[in-house]
Amino acid sequence: MGYFQTFMRQFRARLFLVMLINNVLILADWYIVDQVVKLTGWWAFLAIIAVPLISLGIIPWLSTRSLTQPTKFLWQAIMHIAPGTASEVGAPAPEQLHLGRELVTNLINQLYQLTSVVQGMEQAGAKAALDIHTNFIASSLPLPLIVLDKEEKIVFANEATAKYFDKPASELAGQDIYTAVDMSFSTEETLHSWLKSVKNKSVTAEHRWERVRTGLPGQEGGLQFDLAAYYNQNNSSGYESLLVLFDHTATYSEDDQSLSFVALSVHELRTPLTLLRGYIEVFNDEIGPDLDEEMQRFMKQMDAAAQQLTAFVENILNVAKIEDNQLTLQLHEANWPEVIDSVVKDMRLRAGVRGITITTNIAENLPTAGADQYSIYEVLANLLDNAIKYSKDKDEITVNVIENKEGFIETSVHDNGVGVDESILPHIFDKFYRNHRNQAQIGGTGLGLYLAKAIVEAHDGNIWVNSKVGAGSTFTFTVLPYAQLKGAGKVGTSPEITRNAHGWIKNHALFRD
Amino acid sequence: MQSDNSDTSTGKRVLCVEDEHFISELYTRALTKAGYEVDVRLDGDEGLKAAQTDVYDIVLLDIMIPGITGVEVLDALRDPSKTPHLHGKVIITTNLEQREEVRSEIERKADGYIVKAEITPRELVEFLSHLDA
Repeated sequence: MGYFQTFMRQFRARLFLVMLINNVLILADWYIVDQVVKLTGWWAFLAIIAVPLISLGIIPWLSTRSLTQPTKFLWQAIMHIAPGTASEVGAPAPEQLHLGRELVTNLINQLYQLTSVVQGMEQAGAKAALDIHTNFIASSLPLPLIVLDKEEKIVFANEATAKYFDKPASELAGQDIYTAVDMSFSTEETLHSWLKSVKNKSVTAEHRWERVRTGLPGQEGGLQFDLAAYYNQNNSSGYESLLVLFDHTATYSEDDQSLSFVALSVHELRTPLTLLRGYIEVFNDEIGPDLDEEMQRFMKQMDAAAQQLTAFVENILNVAKIEDNQLTLQLHEANWPEVIDSVVKDMRLRAGVRGITITTNIAENLPTAGADQYSIYEVLANLLDNAIKYSKDKDEITVNVIENKEGFIETSVHDNGVGVDESILPHIFDKFYRNHRNQAQIGGTGLGLYLAKAIVEAHDGNIWVNSKVGAGSTFTFTVLPYAQLKGAGKVGTSPEITRNAHGWIKNHALFRD
Repeated sequence: MQSDNSDTSTGKRVLCVEDEHFISELYTRALTKAGYEVDVRLDGDEGLKAAQTDVYDIVLLDIMIPGITGVEVLDALRDPSKTPHLHGKVIITTNLEQREEVRSEIERKADGYIVKAEITPRELVEFLSHLDA
């Protein structure tokens, strides 16, 4: 109010001044005309009116500018901050005002303040709307959602997260994610290693992990989930990573407990197999010597059949594992001649039943091979088994091993049996593919070669076949020298195959005696 | 159970925790012939109790048994607060197929892991004779 009163005073002063000048002029005019020049009549009248008329024309014109200055400055100020005209009208400079400077300056400042208050309110409103938005989404989302800051600490965890881990949200906030949730990953790349690698390289990044678990396998209360992570380097609100969890505890635990169909079937098949083989052994040992030749042969064949069944059960399991990406190999240094000899020794029994002989020709000075002994044994056993199956009685099977031109260890199994038709050759390594003509007489499932190929290729080797109907078949496969695999960093880390330590492999070799 | 009637008693006692009667019968027969003294228990709780007496040199532990599972028995036997002293070797026997991690986990805790369908009774005896080697 003070400023306005000052302004009114100033205005009044000017008005007074203007009227004073005007009146003085008129009086002076009258005095001059009447007393000095002493005009009379019409001349006197005209001379006296002249001054008021002239000042009427000049004085308003002269004083308008200064009297309207305050209004002009205010007009300028308003136009300057109005959204549409801000660029056209410059900011006023109230220091230049003479009349009502304090008032106008004050009013302009208030105007500017009002403008910034309005702007601030707009922004706050927008942010609040956004917060409501994000909070609504985050709290309604039925999936656990966690937001991390630059130090990988939890800045926000939604309700679903608290429920999932059975911890109050307050306990989770502020903790670093690794302490709050003890996660184990099935891949080498963990959340920690991934965040570390993207922080310096990418502006945004995404990653997904499957089968992340808390707790140990089979442990009660352990959770299993898929994890999706999103990283954003430039988020201004300090949020850096976003994690979303997809729970699969029920389905993954079932897998863990091996209740999948194949595993269950395998278990059901194995129990009677265990018994059969046990009884056959008892009969063989205790009655066998007293039986005539034919009966003894039957006993041996029964034994061979039971072993075949066991091998098949093993095969379907391995196929299931391959399909499920569960077949793991540990490549170690293997003495190849020893590997060959042990398989051949085991297969000689089955061969001997029909008078078939197995001969080996192993080159000297072979390099040590990089192999997973357990599965490579299966490959050789499969190839020899096929050779025996498709050979005639009293035939010869040959196993040749050389170091080939590329430095690989090349093993071939040759039989003089029925051979494979050209039309079948391209499919021979396919799953379940069988030569229909022979199916009636020769047992087998069509899985052996499929498995053999998968295993050989997992060793970085190759497998192929040469065959002609009536002229027998030669199956050849390569494995790499251990030195080469080691150089490529592909070997297993433990010095011994786990199962060897428990004599399992030894047992397997004692299979047929 | 059969009394020891072999000429060469090993002086060793075996506990066989197995609910399949025919399997335990075959194993007992072969083990007894080889000179072991064999006791059989049909479920996990009985098996654990018997094992905790610590009179056995070898414990054959099936996984799929009634009551507590073979793995739970194994855990209890390896827990010093539950089993203060156990001098015998614990061999897990099973016909289950398990994921690699699960199997390795069990193998680590036990002294051996055998898939029953893959060995005959005589081979089991051979395997056990190599245990101390």
